[in-house]
Amino acid sequence: MDKSILKNDPHFSEGCSSCHKGNNKASRKEDAHKNLVSRPSKDLKTCETCHEDIVKRFKTSLHFTTAGQRHGVMGRFSHNELIKFDKNIFETSCRSCHASCGDCHVRSYPVGGIKLGLIKGHKFIKKDEGRTCALCHGGRVYPEYTGEYGGSADIHYQKGMVCTDCHKKEELHGNGILYKSMKDVKDRPKCSNCHKAGVEDTERSQRPHKIHKEKLTCYACHAGSHYRNCYNCHIGKGAESKPGFYLGINPRDKKTFTTLRVVPTIRDTFKAFNIKMEHFDRLPNYWDSAVHTIKKRTDRTRSCDACHKEKKDYLTEDILIKGGSKANFDLIYKQKSK
Amino acid sequence: MLLIFISVSFALSKEPAVTAGWLEKNINNPNVVIVDVRKVEEYKAGHIPNSVNVFYGSWAISKGGMRNELPAMDDLFDLIGSSGITPETHVVVVGKTDTPPDKFDMTRVVWTLKYAGVKNVSMLDGGYNKWVAEKKAISTEQVKPKSKTYKGEINKNLIVDKNYVMSRIDKAVLVDVREPDFFQGKKKLDFVAKPGRIKNAVNLPNSLAFNQDSTLKTKEELEKAATSVIGTDRTKEIITYCDTGKTCTAWAIILSDILGYKDVKIYDGSTEEWTKDPAAPWEQ
Repeated sequence: MDKSILKNDPHFSEGCSSCHKGNNKASRKEDAHKNLVSRPSKDLKTCETCHEDIVKRFKTSLHFTTAGQRHGVMGRFSHNELIKFDKNIFETSCRSCHASCGDCHVRSYPVGGIKLGLIKGHKFIKKDEGRTCALCHGGRVYPEYTGEYGGSADIHYQKGMVCTDCHKKEELHGNGILYKSMKDVKDRPKCSNCHKAGVEDTERSQRPHKIHKEKLTCYACHAGSHYRNCYNCHIGKGAESKPGFYLGINPRDKKTFTTLRVVPTIRDTFKAFNIKMEHFDRLPNYWDSAVHTIKKRTDRTRSCDACHKEKKDYLTEDILIKGGSKANFDLIYKQKSK
Repeated sequence: MLLIFISVSFALSKEPAVTAGWLEKNINNPNVVIVDVRKVEEYKAGHIPNSVNVFYGSWAISKGGMRNELPAMDDLFDLIGSSGITPETHVVVVGKTDTPPDKFDMTRVVWTLKYAGVKNVSMLDGGYNKWVAEKKAISTEQVKPKSKTYKGEINKNLIVDKNYVMSRIDKAVLVDVREPDFFQGKKKLDFVAKPGRIKNAVNLPNSLAFNQDSTLKTKEELEKAATSVIGTDRTKEIITYCDTGKTCTAWAIILSDILGYKDVKIYDGSTEEWTKDPAAPWEQ
């Protein structure tokens, strides 16, 4: 055991039972583990004692409330269905894995099937994106960003930037305001915070940015490779995924054209809970996605023809998911008649 | 004066692998750029002082369903320039060696830089793990590269495609660097369509090139292993391959830069591409 970990970290100064409870005087395992708390930070009071200000804000953060998951699907439900969803699914399923402090700052996950061990795997970390973020976001965003999902790494990762270089702690820990969705969060990272469109060094770069400003999102041109799309989610069974790349009309802003990602909710996702989603067709199955595979040059920046002639990767009726929402058709770009 | 002489002589080293001791003495050498190809998080947790971080995935990408492909040339040149490298820079590539395959991140990047026209490229023998094992200094200060415009001359004769291999199948020495079980068709990776080897290939496994700690074996040991399979004629055309075009760069570098074989190329598509083509000659 690396005793320096215990010695150098004040979290360990009061012993295991200060957080995990149980009985540290007992000599038998059964007695010692009585009333053991496996995830102490699930009760935020455990951390609040010392980190009062952060915890106060964190209570409002989307990481803790997981309100985004509810907001994303609630538009498909009737009033009564939403009540049923909240009671039987949201509170028991979605909310059960909300991020507590320890999920990001303590818990480690096995690497290649090997656990780090009781103490080393329990090391408190302030920030280490490979653990603090990738533990939950390791399915889509993180491996896409690092290029491990295929394609190549996002240019920002190539330049040495990690998650918290853009996503600041106010966003991750909350700012005291209860948001419904991450799209509502004030001061979210924007490309334009660092890259002002239309003021590039050369006319060759300026022109396309000026022409496409407010018509395309940055991702529409600069997303560099395929990203994970999830299909056919059924409560209890999960979803299946495969790589894809879709360009279409932004469902949240019909004036813009952007990268779309398939969300796995289908008509019978909640069948097991007798929720048929009376308003299923109000929301599409494709949503605008801030794809983290940004490149300076892509097929679309290299050639105007990729979009203006070939319509490469455009969402079309042929590739829409079968039996999907009627709202999907509104996302297909239709050429304006001249 | 003596110090200047020593510094210049170190900078002129053209070994394909430099030791941790050599690198320690050249950390502040203005002609040396140390490129750490580990993940950003690993680099941030601790790295060789003065090293810049350019993650492996920047040098070798997935493209057209194939792993470990070269980036587009303009992207590659941007990458090299933004890392502060010129064709005259001595680049030392540093990667991890936690698992046996990790070390080939270094050899593939060394090969890529040579392909792009950098004349003097080495890897750190034994990688970052060796540096740590020898208790050398570690920094957590992120180093910003001094960006330059890179204009190198591409060495097109270092790489061949499938059609070229087919045309030279009875003429060149095809060197399969995979371990014997893979060469003999007893094992295969999931993405390789069928077990076996390219017709007429000989087997020179990578395990013969490295010690347990991922340092290179001695020149004598390497020579003995290579000549027993390839022969001693240094003018033969040699094409190395593996499963994705990554691990075959190790023997390609050793054969050309240490053992003096004059015409060594890699088949980048390797078995991942070859086995998808039913017309590509194959044997089990």
